Amino acid sequence: MIRIGNASGFYGDRLSAMREQLEGGHLDVLTGDYLAELTMLILGRDRMKDSGLGYAKTFLRQMEDCLALALDQGVKIVVNAGGLNPEGLARKLDAKVGYVTGDDLKARFPEALTANAYLGAWEIAECLNQGAQVVVTGRVTDASLVVGPAAAHFGWARDDWDRLAGATVAGHVLECGTQATGGNYSFFTEIDATRPGFPIAEIDEDGSCLITKHAGTGGAVTVDTVTAQLLYEIGAPEYLGPDVTTHFDTIRLTSDERGVRISGTKGSPPPDTLKVCLNTLGGFRNSTTFVLTGLDVGAKAELVKRQLHDAIGEESLTWTLARTDHADADTEERASALLHVTIKTADPKRAKGFSRAAIELALASYPGFHVTAPPSDGTPFGVYKAAYVHRDEVSAKAVLL
Amino acid sequence: MSGAVKRALGTIAGARSGDKGGDANLGVWVRSQEAYEWLNGFLTTEKLKELLPEAGEVSRYELPNLRALNFVLHGLLGDGVASSTRFDPQAKALGEWLRGREVEIPEELL
Repeated sequence: MIRIGNASGFYGDRLSAMREQLEGGHLDVLTGDYLAELTMLILGRDRMKDSGLGYAKTFLRQMEDCLALALDQGVKIVVNAGGLNPEGLARKLDAKVGYVTGDDLKARFPEALTANAYLGAWEIAECLNQGAQVVVTGRVTDASLVVGPAAAHFGWARDDWDRLAGATVAGHVLECGTQATGGNYSFFTEIDATRPGFPIAEIDEDGSCLITKHAGTGGAVTVDTVTAQLLYEIGAPEYLGPDVTTHFDTIRLTSDERGVRISGTKGSPPPDTLKVCLNTLGGFRNSTTFVLTGLDVGAKAELVKRQLHDAIGEESLTWTLARTDHADADTEERASALLHVTIKTADPKRAKGFSRAAIELALASYPGFHVTAPPSDGTPFGVYKAAYVHRDEVSAKAVLL
Repeated sequence: MSGAVKRALGTIAGARSGDKGGDANLGVWVRSQEAYEWLNGFLTTEKLKELLPEAGEVSRYELPNLRALNFVLHGLLGDGVASSTRFDPQAKALGEWLRGREVEIPEELL
């Protein structure tokens, strides 16, 4: 059995989770997911400012605090915090570090700000087999962070489909941290959801696992909390990944006194193509929210719309009116509706001009005019697209420093 | 078989939703075999669109082993989270919206 914990579900997750997981009990491997489609865009903009950046900076802070503790306990760290610059992050860590590279396909998709193939588990496994104490990757599938260490530990073969599928399910449950242990959980009133502990998978040689968490931590691991996470961000029951296709309709969950057992998962060969996460800069956006209070809410909305259209034109404005108001209300907030407007435009001057136009209405519009937050200068926005390339076109590599 | 009562779907069903590019996914699960048999018959694609009128093209998948249905709401989020002007650009609360909708639930499941 290998005991793999998770200490991060996104870039910005609980900073102290790394220490909580290391001090809470025994682990063999501690993983962390820092990358989402949106994160790649954020890191891409970091990299534009400074080519030495492009990784998740919070992971570096966690390592300053916890690397010695992890090395002392013999816990291996496996994270995708490398983002767009795994080598840059790896070189900042004082340990035997391996990194995974080859996901960056910007040369193939030059029009994109970021273009990264979702790599799999095998380069992570290779880093660990070569003795890495810390493995940092760029864009690998979230589940690979768990599949890689399990495959290395048990010496699985590349066609051990059921085992790989079982570990993929464990990885899918862990990848969003406390979403498996009672965070964001529909039946939260039935558990103590104040401060859920981070999840752990105890994976067996056959790929089945027990989902649990350290004793004494908050939240809960039940068939319901695990089911909730299994349903997160999935499509068809055939869950496609770079290493295996996992059949979610074969997963069996059973309650255990220490958590939930996952077994029965079937796998089959993966597709010939790898998914690529593409982010391009779409233009600039800006938004504000007008508060409409009391009588004539519809007419007030019409007036301010007409005024803003007169000032800067209708094009690329999106309006929504949320009728949160109540008639004859006993608080001012209950008497108020919210009129949201967003501009998306290729022209940064127009995004900025939007602010001025909205503010200039302050003494010249509907009675009771105010906004929840003044508009800013406008910020760039990204457009996400998935592309697919043949796996032979991608050369993933494991590098030991 | 006794009667049905109008209650929020979330009285008996849990849900979790999120984003995949411009698509949203919405998983709904219940906690007994009897409840799943009802849910599977009740929550068709058409019913989902009736309960969530903002949904456009919808794919529906059955996961009887998890007593769950998974829906993919295509294009709900436009060009993805960073670009969407939608109120909830990552579809995080789509599932809780569905759970709040009132439907006729068989009395014996409550």
